[in-house]
Amino acid sequence: MSWKRRLILFVVVMLFASMLGSYAWAAEPGATLDVAPGVPRHETLILENPEGRIADPGRFNRWAQGGGNSTGLQQLALDTLWYIDPDAGIDDPWNNSLAEAPPIYNEDYTQMTVKLRKGIYWSDGVEFTADDVIFTVETLMANPAMSFGAQFQLNVDRVYKTDDYTVVFDLKQPNSRFHAIFTVRWSACFIMPKHIWEKVDDPVAFDFNDPLVSLGPYVLKDYDPNGYWYLWERREDWHRTSLGMQYGMPQPKYALYIAPGPADKRVMAQANHDLDVIHDLTPEGMISLVNRNPLSKGWFDGFPWAHPDPTLPAVMLNNEKYPLNLPEVRWALTLAIDIVNVSMASYNGAATLSAIHVPPTGGYLEWYFDPMESWLQSFSIDVDGEPFYPYDDTVAFRVAETVRKQLGDQVPTDPEQLKKALGYGWWKYAPEVAEKLLLKNGFTRDRRGNWLLPNGEQWKISILCHGPTVPTMTRAATMIAEQWTKFGIETKAEPTDLLWTRLDYGDYDVCLAWCIETWGGHPDLFWFLESWHSDYYRPSGEQVVNKNPMRFKNEELDRIIEEIKGRDFDDPACVDLGIEYLKICVKEMPIIPLMAYNVFAVCDWYYWEGFPTADNPYTNPVANWANTKFMFPMIRPTGRK
Amino acid sequence: MRSRMRVISDLYRHDPRCRFALSVIFIVVIFALLSLVSPYDPGSSYYAPPSLPPSREHPFGTNSRGQDIFWLMTFAVRNSLTFGILTAFLSRIIAIFVGLTSGYKGGIVDRIMMVINDSFVVLPVLPILILINFIMRGQMGLMELAMIMALFGWAWDARLIRSQVLSLKEREFTFTSVFSGTNTARILLSEHLPFVTPIVLSTTINNLLWAIGMEVTLAVLGLSNIGIPTIGTTIYWANQHQALISGVWWWLAAPVAISVLLFIALYLLVVGLGTYLDPRTRIQRMKGALSDERA
Amino acid sequence: MPRSFLSYIAQRAVQCVLVILIGITITFFIPRLSPTDPVETAVNQAVMVGQFSHPDAVREMKEALIRLYGLDGTLLQQYVRFWKGLLAGDLGPSLSSFPKPVMTLIRGSLPWTAGLLLTTAVISWTLGNLLGSLAGYYKNQRWASIVGIIAMALHPIPYYIMAFVLVVLLAYVVPIFPIGGAIDIGLKPAFSIVYLSSLLRHAILPSLSLLLVGVGGWFLGMRTLVTNVIAEDYVTYAKYAGVRDRVIMYQYVMRNALLPQITGLAMQLGLIFNGALITEYVFSYPGLGYLAYNAIFAGDYSLIMGVAVFSIVGVSIAVLLIDLAYPLFDPRVKYQ
Repeated sequence: MSWKRRLILFVVVMLFASMLGSYAWAAEPGATLDVAPGVPRHETLILENPEGRIADPGRFNRWAQGGGNSTGLQQLALDTLWYIDPDAGIDDPWNNSLAEAPPIYNEDYTQMTVKLRKGIYWSDGVEFTADDVIFTVETLMANPAMSFGAQFQLNVDRVYKTDDYTVVFDLKQPNSRFHAIFTVRWSACFIMPKHIWEKVDDPVAFDFNDPLVSLGPYVLKDYDPNGYWYLWERREDWHRTSLGMQYGMPQPKYALYIAPGPADKRVMAQANHDLDVIHDLTPEGMISLVNRNPLSKGWFDGFPWAHPDPTLPAVMLNNEKYPLNLPEVRWALTLAIDIVNVSMASYNGAATLSAIHVPPTGGYLEWYFDPMESWLQSFSIDVDGEPFYPYDDTVAFRVAETVRKQLGDQVPTDPEQLKKALGYGWWKYAPEVAEKLLLKNGFTRDRRGNWLLPNGEQWKISILCHGPTVPTMTRAATMIAEQWTKFGIETKAEPTDLLWTRLDYGDYDVCLAWCIETWGGHPDLFWFLESWHSDYYRPSGEQVVNKNPMRFKNEELDRIIEEIKGRDFDDPACVDLGIEYLKICVKEMPIIPLMAYNVFAVCDWYYWEGFPTADNPYTNPVANWANTKFMFPMIRPTGRK
Repeated sequence: MRSRMRVISDLYRHDPRCRFALSVIFIVVIFALLSLVSPYDPGSSYYAPPSLPPSREHPFGTNSRGQDIFWLMTFAVRNSLTFGILTAFLSRIIAIFVGLTSGYKGGIVDRIMMVINDSFVVLPVLPILILINFIMRGQMGLMELAMIMALFGWAWDARLIRSQVLSLKEREFTFTSVFSGTNTARILLSEHLPFVTPIVLSTTINNLLWAIGMEVTLAVLGLSNIGIPTIGTTIYWANQHQALISGVWWWLAAPVAISVLLFIALYLLVVGLGTYLDPRTRIQRMKGALSDERA
Repeated sequence: MPRSFLSYIAQRAVQCVLVILIGITITFFIPRLSPTDPVETAVNQAVMVGQFSHPDAVREMKEALIRLYGLDGTLLQQYVRFWKGLLAGDLGPSLSSFPKPVMTLIRGSLPWTAGLLLTTAVISWTLGNLLGSLAGYYKNQRWASIVGIIAMALHPIPYYIMAFVLVVLLAYVVPIFPIGGAIDIGLKPAFSIVYLSSLLRHAILPSLSLLLVGVGGWFLGMRTLVTNVIAEDYVTYAKYAGVRDRVIMYQYVMRNALLPQITGLAMQLGLIFNGALITEYVFSYPGLGYLAYNAIFAGDYSLIMGVAVFSIVGVSIAVLLIDLAYPLFDPRVKYQ
């Protein structure tokens, strides 16, 4: 044998040997089915942390920048006064967590009193009292660079206790929604342990690690110095936490939050039963996952699977920019959208559409969608002197029909179920009406049929949208761009990672994003609507405060917002005011509502069962919500090992 | 022009690898040109049933956006190829100029040029490209990207060319030429360029590949204009629909197969061309031709 | 000779310092043209977490952050401040993970990046050049053209696809290797068989992906170089003079053909500090690439600069070393 043959043989043998060798390594730890040394798989719930790798993994200061949020920290270790569930809640969407009862306001909403639960302890054995709440507020007020600090400065005159379990906030001006700061919808202002933080010189720099003293039912057992995973262990004294006290023992002894990587890898991981709760997927990934693993279940059992989050993606229009400042132009753009195709392109049909300006989720169907339905049917816009009725309540069925070609019987047929899952209705696809509206406003078409602005310039639109991390939104934006281009407006979709900054500064014409977010489990709209008041209005170039990036102003709306502000959080009249708000928005169409933010949160019922679903909607399964803590006492082990 | 045609026909006749390469390149160019007669607009979607495997009607299948992959790829190949060639061409101009001049002139010129050259070598290209993308917002098309990539993509190759020249300079024939009074430009062009050509060509191919690969990276990260079909955006869209895990493999197979074929063809062509240009092998070939005649 | 050698070294050192200076200056200013900035990012995050905030509250928070992050003053003042810090070995606090020092963050990721990329760069260089020179030397043999075809087919595959196909094939369809990560969960660093084998097992797929793409490049380059060298007169003479094949191969051909490849390797090693973003992304592998990428999107100037400084210094030194060492390998080149 010549030397080069020997060399080749040598290389081949080495490659082969290393393959075999590594196979042997791989087989060995796999056999014990431990998640980590001494942590059995069947006692562990593994959840996805969608934040990905955490750059500064040892930082747990949730009140300042840096570190991760949904690493289990805000779900399992932190707690605050109240929670509102985006769905039905275990017994009620409203949950008194650290507080014993809902907030008590005085007559003119200048004072809020909070009664705290007794018998709650920090994980190091110190009792939780009013002092912790007061300390948190005072620390943040002294540090406006921390979250909520500036907001407390603006609102709170004085915070004090009348006894160890009663905290009183004297407010600088009337505010009937002050408690929202302490009410979790995804997150909120959490409470700090005074006995740890009072020893800290610089609360901004403090990592709150070592010890990370927990107020929730789990403590940090270990974490990846590279930021890919966090392992939590159930507290021995879990019954001394608000969750344990109310709903019993959280079932998993361990919880592991991991960053599993791109969507394809999440599918592979769950198909191998290595990832119990997936935060989000693409619709195609969802379909291929349920085909691989029959125990993978979404919110709906079968199509459309996804959980509708109480957030409303919309085509945001910059109301300051010509010609988008004209309501008829905004309506023309609405009628140039074929929503069935948008639903197919973005969500493969699994979108919950909404024609009006609240998300079609949680209790909102009953509170807002049912009462609006007949008004929408009779709503018309004036087109060249003739009424045009734009509402179309057949879209859910048309979407279902299209999807049925692909998925067959997996698509439900019951009309009520379809309406709930795919939306009550949307606006008609009527490019001919849109054309009339534009012509009326002085627009013309050039020789190629493209629209020219009244001043003769070509009408071009760029739709900003999210980058590759939120594929459904990019896909929706691309489809709308295609439809508008077909209609004669030169449109392109532009993914950007600076979406929010550009929105806030008004550096855009059209954008696919969201600014309408609701509690889901409570009808109050003030949470997002407050900043639509003209007091908050900032022109393009100045930063707005997040919820009015379309720069919409309306006197009637100002009155509604003021009226809601003057009423109690639970006042039923607020719902009626909310309906008035919806009617204004339909007429003015400041932004074009599209659909609920549907999240393909998939739970694997292999090791654990009893995850929340549409039939048992006790909480939101979307793993980065702090509200998901209610999942832990409700799931049960299947006994598989 | 006639002589250039001669080169091609020579290559085609004498070297089977070149025959293969030229055929493939010809096919790919025709393929890219087919985009001009595409029955579908690359910007439209859902005109065909989604996710169909290759069939007679759709030779490369359809993707999950209801587009015919064959016709879409004609656009993608055209754009990626134009982009790659433009980048490689522009950066070659700088690289050859800097490499030859710096290597041959030496002294202070060399030192100044190398400081500039090395400053470009050390800049971290990917982060800078991401940043520039960021700064340019949606304004960046493929042409702009090609120019920026050319600006950052020449330095290493200039160094390679320079070092080749440095070692050539010490050889006898340079001295001979210098002593016999040949001027600098002539030495550069007639004596050195043939020796430098192989490395210029191979860096060209590498640069082309680098440019196309960088475009893929930027696209995968969501930083390119997703409305323009390229090899990168094809992969981007396939990702957006989780094509790999959903079993729509043909969506990715098409761009990969075309990239591989194209690269092999270009590479073989360069090797063939290098051999052809090399003065030493040219003599051998002439001898070969003579012996052919004799036989 | 030694004197000219010394002055050459001095000259090259000055050149190197100049290059570092220019490189760092360019990378200092480019991010500051970026439309995002760290204060914006922090405020956005806080506004999202803090639900709605009054505009006055937002303004107040912004001003506090600008002071905190040291972003007050003109660009020039910031630039001077940056150099002062850098010369004292201080890259300052990260702005997206405030107030964690940039050095701490880099120190956490650097070993992974260096470990993975150093090993794969050296292996792929060695393997590629060895195979490449053999294939160039014995270019008329069947195995040489087969290896050549494989290399040509693997090299142009978009790296992202290559990496992903490997994951699907070897971690899912045939689950030989872990699907991602750098080490088994909960395993503490120790010099033990368990730890080391876990480390290796996790590193195999990422390095394999880098190798498959990387070897091809070196292979093809080397094959061309060798083919050229073989045609040189001295090789022909050596053959006529009856020098043994193996001696010609190693002493005459490979040594000369390797020169440009050594330049390439040095550069590759210098570039290691850039990290391998896509590898890290696909394999959930820790490293500098992701750190830098995140920093760009958060507008974290300090962290961008931190990674860039490492990269720039790394490459500059690599370049310097190549230039100094070149004449050692190629006696025909004089120091000048």
